Amino acid sequence: MASSHLPNYLRTNRMRLGLSQDEVAYLLGTESGTRVSRYEQFARDPGLRTALAYEAIFQRPIRELFAGIYDEVEREVASRAKRLVLNTDHMRPGERTARKREVLTKIAGTKVKKPQHP
Amino acid sequence: MTKTIRQNNNLILAIALSSSGFGFAVLEGERTLVDWGVKSVTGDKNAWILKQIEKMIAHYQPGVLVLHDAAAKGSRRGPRIRKLTKEIVAMAASWKLKVTLLSREHVMQAFFIDGKGTKYTIAKVLAGRFPEELGPRLPRKRRAWEGEDSRMSIFDAVALAFAKRLWRKDR
Repeated sequence: MASSHLPNYLRTNRMRLGLSQDEVAYLLGTESGTRVSRYEQFARDPGLRTALAYEAIFQRPIRELFAGIYDEVEREVASRAKRLVLNTDHMRPGERTARKREVLTKIAGTKVKKPQHP
Repeated sequence: MTKTIRQNNNLILAIALSSSGFGFAVLEGERTLVDWGVKSVTGDKNAWILKQIEKMIAHYQPGVLVLHDAAAKGSRRGPRIRKLTKEIVAMAASWKLKVTLLSREHVMQAFFIDGKGTKYTIAKVLAGRFPEELGPRLPRKRRAWEGEDSRMSIFDAVALAFAKRLWRKDR
């Protein structure tokens, strides 16, 4: 399923603050606005340090600034968590397994059928 | 040739054509103004404008494109804008993108119960709704002998996007 969000909202937030691409580039510690333009055109994803710098500049959490990318990553993680929940079916039943299953089910974001242990 | 995009039905791209270029707005849902601005050009305006709008469609992949209906009854748009509107509609069709043409009356009815208001009143309403985004762009009210500030086309575009959103909800 496609995200209803854009990959990022960097241009929106920059314009809201009335900053130029060169000014944001300076704040990010990069040389020119070209890189900023690439991020805003969704042609390139910034690294972790740059993403955190964006959070500091725009005062908004990363998951909001990169909402589309976050949605995509969240879906991928949820899909992997579902597979791990199914793996717990083969684990020895107990408190630890139940706790693990609970955590993974929450990450998966869906109800996973309880295992039928004999 | 038909081009395809993964359309985001939550996004509206609105274009307000003007004598010197166009104003644009990208509205996500009802509360987020994602992009807005004005682009001016000299020379072969229509070809350049068409190219710019096509770039925006490819970039934002909106669910709908909204334009002023230049052929609506009572419209005073010139032949260049009428021709350009048709060209944009044809170009959007090549992207399989829905196009909505709204008349001035449609826009006014979306903002005012009696359908009576001015472009400037709408601009003030929008600047109040989006103070960070549009507040600094609101020009002072023009006097009768002054030409229109080019920034007004941004407000025209946002008004189109909003009218489309409200139109869809009401009808």
